[in-house]
Amino acid sequence: MNMNSPQILSRRSFLGTTTGMAATAALGCLTNVPLFVQKALADGTIGRPGPDGRVKKLLFIFLRGANDGLNNVIPHGDDAYGPLIRDNIQIPVDPAQTWNVRGRALFPTAGATGGTYDYPFSIPLGNGFAGLHPSLKFLAPIYNAGELAMIHRVGYPRQSRSHFDSQNYWETGAPRDPMVKDGILYRAMYESGRTQVNSLTGVSFQSSLPLMLRGSRAAMTNITDPTRYDLLGVPNNVDGNLKMANALAAANSAGFVPKQNRDMLQQQYANMSKTLDIFAGLNFSEAGNTFVDDENTDGRRPYHLFPTTNDKNGGGPGGTGNPNYVVPTSAYGFFNQLKSAALILNKTDAIVAGTQIDGWDTHSNQGGVTGSHANLLRRVGWSLYALRKYFKNHGDQCRWDDLVVVTLSEFGRTTIENSDNGTDHAEASVMYVAGGGVKGFQTNALGAVTRSGIFNCGPSDPVAWQTGMNGTMFQSTGRYLQRATDFRSVMGSLVRDHLGATQEQLNRIIPGYSVAGERLQSGGTQSADGVRITGELPLV
Amino acid sequence: MQLPRTLVSTLIGVLAVSAQQITPDIHWFGLTNGRPELRFQLAPSVQEYRIRHSESPGGALSNASGILSGGVWTGTNAASGPSGFYQVEASPLPSETVLAGALLNRIAYGPTPDELDRIRQIGTSAYIAEQLAPEGIAEELDQPADTGPIWRKVTVTGNGSSSRLYMYLDGPGDAYLDDFRLVAGSVDNGTAANLLPNGGFESPLGTSNWRLTANSANSARTADYVRSGQAAFHLEMIAAGSTGTDSVYLDIVPSLSAAQTYTLSFWYLTSSEDSRLVVRLSGSGVSVTTPLSGGIESPAPFFRNLSSPVMGSGGIGTLRSWHLLHAIQSRRQLAEVVRQFLENHFVTQYSKTSEYLDNIGLPSELAPGEAAKLEFRENLAWRRAFLNPRCTFLDLLRISAESPAMIIYLDTVGSRGDINTATRTNRIANENYARELCELFAFGVDNGYDQGDIVQISRAWTGWTVDYLDTNQVSNPFAVRSTRYINASLTNATERNSLTNLVGQWSFRYRTERHDPRVKWIFYEKGSNGTILTNAPKTVPARFGAPWAGRNYGLRLAYGSGTNNIQDGYAVLAHMADQPFTQEYLSVKLCRLLVHDEFHHGYDFSDDVHTPEEDLVHACMMAWESPRNGGPKGQVREVLRVILESDLFRSSLTASSKVRTPLEFGVATLRAFRSRREDGTFTSVADPANLSDGLMNRAGRMRLFDRAEPDGYPEDGSGWISAGTLAERLRFAQSLSLAGANLVTTPAARSASDSVGSSRIDPAGLVMLKLGSSATSAEAVADYLMGLLYPTEGAGNLATIRKVAIDFLNTSDNGSTASAFSTLLPGSRNYDGRVRGLAALLLSTPRFQEQ
Repeated sequence: MNMNSPQILSRRSFLGTTTGMAATAALGCLTNVPLFVQKALADGTIGRPGPDGRVKKLLFIFLRGANDGLNNVIPHGDDAYGPLIRDNIQIPVDPAQTWNVRGRALFPTAGATGGTYDYPFSIPLGNGFAGLHPSLKFLAPIYNAGELAMIHRVGYPRQSRSHFDSQNYWETGAPRDPMVKDGILYRAMYESGRTQVNSLTGVSFQSSLPLMLRGSRAAMTNITDPTRYDLLGVPNNVDGNLKMANALAAANSAGFVPKQNRDMLQQQYANMSKTLDIFAGLNFSEAGNTFVDDENTDGRRPYHLFPTTNDKNGGGPGGTGNPNYVVPTSAYGFFNQLKSAALILNKTDAIVAGTQIDGWDTHSNQGGVTGSHANLLRRVGWSLYALRKYFKNHGDQCRWDDLVVVTLSEFGRTTIENSDNGTDHAEASVMYVAGGGVKGFQTNALGAVTRSGIFNCGPSDPVAWQTGMNGTMFQSTGRYLQRATDFRSVMGSLVRDHLGATQEQLNRIIPGYSVAGERLQSGGTQSADGVRITGELPLV
Repeated sequence: MQLPRTLVSTLIGVLAVSAQQITPDIHWFGLTNGRPELRFQLAPSVQEYRIRHSESPGGALSNASGILSGGVWTGTNAASGPSGFYQVEASPLPSETVLAGALLNRIAYGPTPDELDRIRQIGTSAYIAEQLAPEGIAEELDQPADTGPIWRKVTVTGNGSSSRLYMYLDGPGDAYLDDFRLVAGSVDNGTAANLLPNGGFESPLGTSNWRLTANSANSARTADYVRSGQAAFHLEMIAAGSTGTDSVYLDIVPSLSAAQTYTLSFWYLTSSEDSRLVVRLSGSGVSVTTPLSGGIESPAPFFRNLSSPVMGSGGIGTLRSWHLLHAIQSRRQLAEVVRQFLENHFVTQYSKTSEYLDNIGLPSELAPGEAAKLEFRENLAWRRAFLNPRCTFLDLLRISAESPAMIIYLDTVGSRGDINTATRTNRIANENYARELCELFAFGVDNGYDQGDIVQISRAWTGWTVDYLDTNQVSNPFAVRSTRYINASLTNATERNSLTNLVGQWSFRYRTERHDPRVKWIFYEKGSNGTILTNAPKTVPARFGAPWAGRNYGLRLAYGSGTNNIQDGYAVLAHMADQPFTQEYLSVKLCRLLVHDEFHHGYDFSDDVHTPEEDLVHACMMAWESPRNGGPKGQVREVLRVILESDLFRSSLTASSKVRTPLEFGVATLRAFRSRREDGTFTSVADPANLSDGLMNRAGRMRLFDRAEPDGYPEDGSGWISAGTLAERLRFAQSLSLAGANLVTTPAARSASDSVGSSRIDPAGLVMLKLGSSATSAEAVADYLMGLLYPTEGAGNLATIRKVAIDFLNTSDNGSTASAFSTLLPGSRNYDGRVRGLAALLLSTPRFQEQ
């Protein structure tokens, strides 16, 4: 001990320790955060009700493992796409269809006797060039309604071919910058200031909180199984959890030595304590899953929007191969999570919510019209279709016009198949953006197409698709698709133009968004690595 | 009155390396209602804080009285003058105590009461030395116990809810029972009158009131196994019992009183039956459920099952149970932690193997069992390797590369590089294994390789496949499929050659005809268009410093022919195993496992800027490169030793700074209450299948041996903690504390708890065992359990929780009425419930999520 160095407390050390103290406050007492560390609530409109009293929201679905974009939106106008590069996994064109007529997408329905996915060909999209994998057929009605954008060749500069790095970059919104450790949607929520006010802001339904929603200054919420989201109390001869609840709250209010992981633990405990009641007030049960399509697309009986049982999967009883099923039986868990995400956006003040689909790493036996990749695509196609119907017909705090659904995937796959009838890691892939306010396919009064909703998959796009064996499909050292749009331009325009961030906020949400050399807004040839990209697209 | 008061303090002491005093930083000081209030920074592992006060600078300090709570102190007395000088003094825990806790949390799956006692006895250095040499620790967990069945006694206390006593099994089966006693009071001293007639079954059942029902009709007195006297009772159930109509029952005369406490005891013979024995009064005033295994769960039956040569025996559940019981029980704890690390580092996916075997023609009911066995054999190989004192990383790489589970998981099994006769070009090899070998198993992402290297390396692995080889050929990769038949007399060739008629084992098989024999230029620089510059092998970057920087590490594999091509793969492994990239990547991973989460790749070892983390990684790499024992490079134990002897590992800031994975949380919970009773039973019993399919699945989907992604399960806290997973952890702790509780009444709300299977903890039994006569003291019980569950935190930092815990013990179940813990009789139902409640509470705090 040193009695000769009296120390006057400086403001700096006060700041340094007081935030730690705030984190030690009682469960749920986030309003105790001193004013000067709160985010101002005045900037932007993220999470703020518009004139109609409703908030703009976003639902994400992360396709983990790298979706083979070339077999999603298929460049049939490029004669190099075919058996020479994809002998075992190509999606053939229907000889009975005309490809060079511009117009609506085909929506092949099965009728009362056929299987849901009987159509064995690529679905003409009506832009004279691209086709859609038949397992994505339920995207066609959304596309024809003008509420879907399909963005091909999305990536980022100096693409990593590691799943984990690349997923991290998509989720932090900061490719190749290991200093950025928090998530793009976390930052959007934090910037909005709503984390101080709302009980829920960002919510995921999966086994762990995705990096997209992780950050140190506010806790986002992840729930694995909402039907089990409550506590039990302790051995007790008396009804109720009073003794346990009081003791837990008192024990958790204790100050603690600052160590790694402790602020995070404290925040997540607090998040649990303030969200348990919200979830208890919503019906996540199987019995509560009563949402049915208002159309009978395949002539038998309408599908449940969230197929979570064989019966709700449209086909009645039957094995996994039941041709009437609209999604594979292995997708029920995912549709439960998707339903939860939809419910939480529709019934609470949550602003973003989502989940993920695993299994896209199709190195072997990827399949073509049918097979493992096709089965994954059925989840995607039906998800977007079902979300549209749910929010159109059951919208409460959130309607279809208030929502944007976006899919993400860390990279695409090799143009040429490997010796295992699969594809390996590559670069650019496809993103889907859907919502009532999305500027998709449009015709004028005469029926002429004025907007296609398909980006980067046509010969006359701003970054045109070059055909042939030296063309777009073989751009990057031989067998990879190069990016034509940066995913940050897509996410950036959604966060700003849909959710309501100001440009200044967006520059913090996506670090370096306005840096001229990145060309994320304007596009051009002078992007970070000299690749020609589009910049922002007119999505919403 | 405004009091300008000056603070006296010195800089915060960070490392509690000795029992010396440290003086935490005061960061706020003022008056609250006229009383002085200090706020100061809590320091790690502090036993006790004292507030020292003087009225003048430089004056003698004396203890100031006040209330201390979590870094806030409020004086008892009003400020007495215009100024005051304060200092906070803290006594850290002895460094040996902190290190003992850290060791049991990091190189073991959490403290057990007995291990905590033992490490105090032998010291931390001896514990480290012992754990680093597991071959010296006798262990026969996988050997079946040779003791045979033994008699075990059960005692339980409760109230006389009814005068009818039931005994039954919860499923079909049989059991031997003897010497039933029921006495008034909460203790049976052996001399009180037995209220049960014919409790020793020395007389025919008919002479007493023992009654059989339809389910128990075959039960009878027996002389086959006898505990005392001439006879015992053989309980035989054709189906589960549950109440009087389907059990064996006895009406006690004269009637029992509901207001009276009784103690029941009896003996049963342990057996391998799955069923559990229930003995209770109607109304469950006195009730006990006990597994017939005697409460000793053993991995031996699981081991036997998985080792069976029978096709498809065992299964993934068997393997998980075997694995978890080892984690809980093994004395070679570090070896278990290392095995799990390797299993997770060299990740493979059970369900993908199963699907593959199914697709190539193994009957679908056999494929899961064979897939589980491949995971099992991998784990036996990790275990065997680490028992070798000089086990190297190359040994481990080879085990992984040759493992059929890996060959299937990362698609090498179908990868070909031979000429496709249709296109007249070499087939394109599957890149999956080559990429993860570089990115995840050896070098680390973007560390010393590029996409062109992946393509080259992928060709080296073409031809590595899997086949069902004769059991005496499993180490011969050139062998062809087994032709030894189980039934050689089958005349139908298809039936005779079917997989199910072959004697063999799924093994690595090399097929030279699928190999791409071309020259491979691995780790060479590339020209601007991606072409390989064959005159420019890559060199180790400058940031690695000496002795690595500038070394050339290009690898050229010559054009090969025939079976010699198998060497391509082994050459790649041998070349990569000890490169600085591998050394760095694995050292960082091991530091993250054992020290804390914040270690990174890409340190510049050549500059003058160092952090303790960078220095430790560098020290690991040096131990890898030039081991002190002069043996080969890459000895795993040498690297581990460097970490365990480092200041960083021993720092009290490092202790309890990692979050437990679901595996670690579940195992640590059961271990925390696992003490050996005198009769050989334990105060905690694990149901490993339930642990795996319940807690571990729900709290983050940690499915051992079945991770889909090749990066393995995360090691960092944020990978596991969210509101949803915390709720699952708390539910588990609460259910486990409730299971087996003998409550006076069970409210409806409580019966909705989750099943924890047959996992049980007995916290009251534990504190009675360890505390003896102090077990009636709320302070002693709270301090004991907190020292067990939060061994490195220090009582000074647990003051708030300690007060909550003591209040909890001294409060009745309604949460408000005072009820002195000291008045509860140890072993009584109220005592049991109170201690169980405290266990649930302490397991539910953030501190127990840490290790």
